[in-house]
Amino acid sequence: MPTLANLRLPTRRYALGAGITAEALKYFKYWIAAALVLAFAFPFAVSQWNDITISAWYYAANGGKWFTAFVGGGFLFVLVPNMVATGLTRRELAVSMGIFGVLWSLAIGAIAFAGLLAERAYYGAMGWSHGIDANDAIAPIGSAAETAAFGAHYPLVYLVYFTAGALIGVASYRWEGAGWLLLVPVLPVVFSLDNALYDTEPVGPGWAGFLGGAIGDWGRGLIVALLLVTVAGLAAAAYRILIDIPLRAKKA
Amino acid sequence: MFDDGTPIYRQIADQIKAEIMNGSLEPGGKVMSTNQYAAFYQINPATAQKAFRELVDEGILYKQRGVGMYVADDARDRLAADFRERFFERVLAPLVREARQAGIPLSDIIDYLRDQEGALR
Amino acid sequence: MSFTVNLRSVTLEYGAEPALADVDLDLEAGKIYGLLGRNGAGKTSLLSLLAAFRKPTSGEVLVGGEPVWENAPIVSRVALIREGGDFDDTETVKGTIESGQIRPSFDTDYAFALADRFEVPLKKRVNALSRGKRSVLAALCGLAARAELTMFDEVHLGMDAPTRDAFYKELLAEYMDRPHTVILSTHLIDEVANYLEEVVIVDKGRILRHADIETFQGMGATLTGPAAAVDALGLEPLAEQRLGGTKSITVAALDAAARERAAAAGIEVGPVGLQDLFIHLTAPQDRNGA
Repeated sequence: MPTLANLRLPTRRYALGAGITAEALKYFKYWIAAALVLAFAFPFAVSQWNDITISAWYYAANGGKWFTAFVGGGFLFVLVPNMVATGLTRRELAVSMGIFGVLWSLAIGAIAFAGLLAERAYYGAMGWSHGIDANDAIAPIGSAAETAAFGAHYPLVYLVYFTAGALIGVASYRWEGAGWLLLVPVLPVVFSLDNALYDTEPVGPGWAGFLGGAIGDWGRGLIVALLLVTVAGLAAAAYRILIDIPLRAKKA
Repeated sequence: MFDDGTPIYRQIADQIKAEIMNGSLEPGGKVMSTNQYAAFYQINPATAQKAFRELVDEGILYKQRGVGMYVADDARDRLAADFRERFFERVLAPLVREARQAGIPLSDIIDYLRDQEGALR
Repeated sequence: MSFTVNLRSVTLEYGAEPALADVDLDLEAGKIYGLLGRNGAGKTSLLSLLAAFRKPTSGEVLVGGEPVWENAPIVSRVALIREGGDFDDTETVKGTIESGQIRPSFDTDYAFALADRFEVPLKKRVNALSRGKRSVLAALCGLAARAELTMFDEVHLGMDAPTRDAFYKELLAEYMDRPHTVILSTHLIDEVANYLEEVVIVDKGRILRHADIETFQGMGATLTGPAAAVDALGLEPLAEQRLGGTKSITVAALDAAARERAAAAGIEVGPVGLQDLFIHLTAPQDRNGA
């Protein structure tokens, strides 16, 4: 990371957080570009013999949630031994990781948001219907303002997935072979809130949406608040696991 | 380079002494620095320093503050006396002991040594 | 400003098994230490505590006079290099070196110069390096860290003899250029003995001996002679061997008086190399005088 040259001790955790974000975006830039191209080219291809009623970008943006979870978990899993061995404290790493999570979610969220608005304009120009698959029917996303409101949640949702991924990642490093079991309590909560927020078919298996259906009529404000609480809870759990994590012994 | 028995610093000290005796180090001449010795022999500088400290204590070397180590002007005389003493202690004392055990009279040994010296001349 | 090391009643347990049991240790700043011990003796555990890779179960670990755990000004100037390094294997060599810049003291130019000299290809990914090159990369990152406490844990593994030699040489040059505290943990004791100022021997989770290298080198002796004469000395042997009427014993300590008596009795007195002394000191069957 060339951005790290001439770091100073008191501020290195912030520079590191920004540096990791820049590196990660650079590293995945072709993936992101590919998602953009596919999401715009695919409906055009399909439109040759079928009507387009569903937002393709919506799928790309949802795929981004998984992608973000893997980035959060994968990066932390690799960074723990790496950074602690390079003389970083766990507290500093936690701060860097938090900055990375927020910046990454904002960046990917902004791309998701912009992509959705661009797609709306694109669908409008082509005369296609811009909808999503919701409760066994296709629901149109709505006006430009409604589309913007719909897309505006992405940064927060990405942040939830990122934090959940980071928690699983750090737990997997700490408890080799058992840490991933944290998926069991974490996954239903994140899925349910995600599904409730968008009031759509679950991204994961059907059972994961049961809570989403139940809390679907709680109102956006409450669900956003719950998402924020979930982010805080997941981050606190990840921090707790990270803060006294021992580096694994080298395998002989 | 070093044998296993004696501490390395003593071997270095002995080597410097030998260099003074055989003339490769002149009285008043400058000795390599601790770090140069350490780098040359690939040893810990503290080990080289120990050798120097011993030589300074014995008056063989003296330290010019901030400049380096020098061979004392009378180093050769001191060493000569030192060698003489060690010769008696390490070579002659065991000789006398063994001769006594073997029942060889001292006069025989003296005669032998005189003959040897005549032959070497 | 190089770091001192102080361990106060330190215990480290993995589960119920203590890796280190109530260890006290004081290391002065600015010396090169050898850390010796058999496999599983607790060397790596000890180093892991000093680098804050692990937290002790109880006791205090001080580096530079301060608790090392979660102490950024200290750990940023402590480097523990483990065999093979702690790298992101998918990263390039260049990227790996640059990530060392997290330490404000990291000397990137020096690291690249070393990579060039030891022929570690910058563009290759770490997982594509041979074991030897990987060890070299780890070692050079340790040197370039310009830390105040630098520890190499079996980092020589995988390096061939000429590379090890060049590494020791560079380590010594860097040490003389910039005095700091160094701890070398290794099995190749005789290979590094000349570089050391003090030696710490760890055995079964405890500090068995800690002394300067001359003490160890002058400590032991082998005495070989007629069995009756050797026995008459009344020394407690660490190990003994018999061949016909000749007996050879190894002792951990031989004072001047005993040395003289042995010489007078016609017993040959020989030195014990550090490696052999270490083997005798830590061999379980010899502990109670076989």
